[in-house]
Amino acid sequence: MRKRSSRQFLENIAVVALLFANISAAQVTTARIEDASREPGNWLTYSGTYDGHRYSGLKQITTKDVSQLAAQWVFQTPVTGKFEATPLIDDGVMYFTVANSNAYAIDAQRGKTIWHYERALPEKLRLCCGAVNRGFAMLGDRVFMTTLDAHVIALDSKTGSVIWDTKAADYEKGYTFTVAPLVVKDKVIVGVSGGEYGIQGFIDAYDTKTGALAWRFHTIPGPGEPGHGSWEGDSWTRGGAPAWVTGTYDPELNLLYWPTGNPAPSNNGSQRHGDNLYSNSILALDPDNGKLKWYFQFTPFDLHDWDATESPILIDSTIDGQKRKLLLQANRNGFFYVLDRTNGKFVLGKPYAKQTWAKGLDANGRPVLLPGVDPTLEGVPVCPGAYGATNFMAPSYSPLTGLFYVTSREQCDVFSADSQNYRLGRAYIGSNYVPVMNAKDRGFLTAIDPKTGDARWRFEYFGASWAGTLSTAGGLVFSGDIGGNLIAFDAQSGKALWHFPTGAAVYAAPVSYEVAGKQYVAIGAGNAVFSFALP
Amino acid sequence: MKSEKLRRLVALPFMMCCATFLLAQQVREVKNLLEGNAQAIANGKANFRANCSQCHGLDATGGLRAPSLVSGKFTHGASDADLFSTILHGVPSTLMPGNDLTDDETWEVIAFLRSMQPKSEAVIAGDAQAGEKYFWSAGGCASCHMVRGRGGRLGPDLSRVSASRSAAYITESLREPSKQLSDGLLEPGHDSPIAGDTVTITISSGEKIIGIAKNEDTFSIQLLDLQGELRLFSKSDVQSIVHERKSLMPRYTEAKLSNPALQDLLAYLETLRGE
Repeated sequence: MRKRSSRQFLENIAVVALLFANISAAQVTTARIEDASREPGNWLTYSGTYDGHRYSGLKQITTKDVSQLAAQWVFQTPVTGKFEATPLIDDGVMYFTVANSNAYAIDAQRGKTIWHYERALPEKLRLCCGAVNRGFAMLGDRVFMTTLDAHVIALDSKTGSVIWDTKAADYEKGYTFTVAPLVVKDKVIVGVSGGEYGIQGFIDAYDTKTGALAWRFHTIPGPGEPGHGSWEGDSWTRGGAPAWVTGTYDPELNLLYWPTGNPAPSNNGSQRHGDNLYSNSILALDPDNGKLKWYFQFTPFDLHDWDATESPILIDSTIDGQKRKLLLQANRNGFFYVLDRTNGKFVLGKPYAKQTWAKGLDANGRPVLLPGVDPTLEGVPVCPGAYGATNFMAPSYSPLTGLFYVTSREQCDVFSADSQNYRLGRAYIGSNYVPVMNAKDRGFLTAIDPKTGDARWRFEYFGASWAGTLSTAGGLVFSGDIGGNLIAFDAQSGKALWHFPTGAAVYAAPVSYEVAGKQYVAIGAGNAVFSFALP
Repeated sequence: MKSEKLRRLVALPFMMCCATFLLAQQVREVKNLLEGNAQAIANGKANFRANCSQCHGLDATGGLRAPSLVSGKFTHGASDADLFSTILHGVPSTLMPGNDLTDDETWEVIAFLRSMQPKSEAVIAGDAQAGEKYFWSAGGCASCHMVRGRGGRLGPDLSRVSASRSAAYITESLREPSKQLSDGLLEPGHDSPIAGDTVTITISSGEKIIGIAKNEDTFSIQLLDLQGELRLFSKSDVQSIVHERKSLMPRYTEAKLSNPALQDLLAYLETLRGE
């Protein structure tokens, strides 16, 4: 009798557990993404939350026990190429893209394949920087990704079946996609790549249900539009300004913040005099119709390939006794910027890495140039180099420490300019850049106080890293290095507390999630995903 | 029926093989019609700078990732047809990728590279046998360099040195060994040059170990010491690590290696092509 009642009790528990499982297995909704910080066990959007913090509220793994962190599984894919994606996790399933527009859903607790999406790609893709992809967006029972042949697709999240497949642009003309989309309400938003191929950049929104184009924002204004006069002659028709890194979103202001890349040809400005709007900018767009609310351009008339395609981070903070809605960006040009995200006004800006091109920023945040930094035929050494003081690797922000964490690089290039005839779809750079000899690349994890723009601490890697960052409620920052280590840092002090050699240079950003009461930290490196937890 | 099918199966690869062979024969006879054409050289230079200079240097004299292309020596074939194929299709298992150029653009790049090459390499007048003797005895070269499985481990293996390095480059390496330090080629999979850097490590006992870094990352270093032994360390276990930024190779000054003796040595090294 007693035995029977205890079994009944267990059955009741099982029913209750099943109910909860059903609740947590609920479809991904816009409301869930807006409140993603309330369910830290999942990772529902590229930067974890719409504000771009990449901060996990999970705190099972802390500064005290992180040294015990151990690999739980390694998932090997047969797809070679750089792994740049941020995995998404919902209800124990991990969704990620890899090189060559392939993608997987796997069991996030056990590292086992659920489905694998393979895409037949055309041969002559125009790819400046590898056949990479940075990950999925999700809504309902669908996941959304972009492809190297310039399509946007929706897959069934349970099977990987293609629900819709929309051609956004012509890959033969130099257009391609590497970006992880962002879902806002009923739209999936993407930005195009191809700044090295003389494209006309754009940001697109597609209907999540049908895949139909809802709006397109051209990042280069056409004739008659404000800003068109910032391009000389017809240079705007091949001016680049791609938008290849995922933006962030403020649901309260209903504003989408999307970064844009370099004007083309990147090294030679002789035929595109002017500010070249909206290259190297942050655009604040209405996500419902794609209308521009404001813009801020970091590097007008850029000659050094300093795309502003670094994820903007949104924080609310008190500056000079005033509550402010701010936008933070560590820019490829070597300066850290704080903007007012309600109107795009410049708040502060300071260098966070070695730079030799600007005297500083003026009251509006416009750079004051030093002489002799424009590329010439013979070449001119400038810091940062074309890869920038940082790049696509995702920064993070910890509300716990109030610090902004970014992978910074100190490497200089000799920039040369030469005439280059434009030909549709072909590389259009205007000569090139080569590393300064006899100078070693240096790389850091840099913690910046956004109230002052000053670095609180720096950890120096061996070589310059390409890894993104993750902050956690356990007082940790996770990132990686070119030697292939995933590293855990004390978020306050910058001390390295733990590392694991994955065996391949890290280009992705770590994420954290929870399954069955256990916190995991995962990272893609080489052709594999690694997941760690406490024993 | 069965045999017919079998015959077809055999015939197909045979025909394909023959076609490839004939094609290869045709390609091998191809000469660059644009060689010496001033406009082609100018166009080739612009395309070289846009597509090739990041690794091979703005003036094609070599960079961090790839060798000089103006020495007149090419590891993967020096004929016009070889260069055409290497530029368009790359070299498998190396960092050299295929390039997105039209045939005409490729010929222009080749015209540019040919225009940069020495018209005829200065004839090395030295005595190869005397040079070989110097290499293996008085010169002490073999204490650090290996040739066809014999010799030391510390320096680069020279078994095929003349397949890719010019006499001028080798001369500089002998006279000023530290000058080309930053020229260390990138290993596939590494994004920063590490091979060949001279490092001094002070271990916890205070003992100093000098060697060549075979690899290094944020937390560890793998060294080949002066005795040719591998020494592997976690950085947390050592007192200090100093990157010397100079080569362990001694300078072979004129006092040590006269110009005629240098010519003998170059004549010997000229024979080392891995053939």
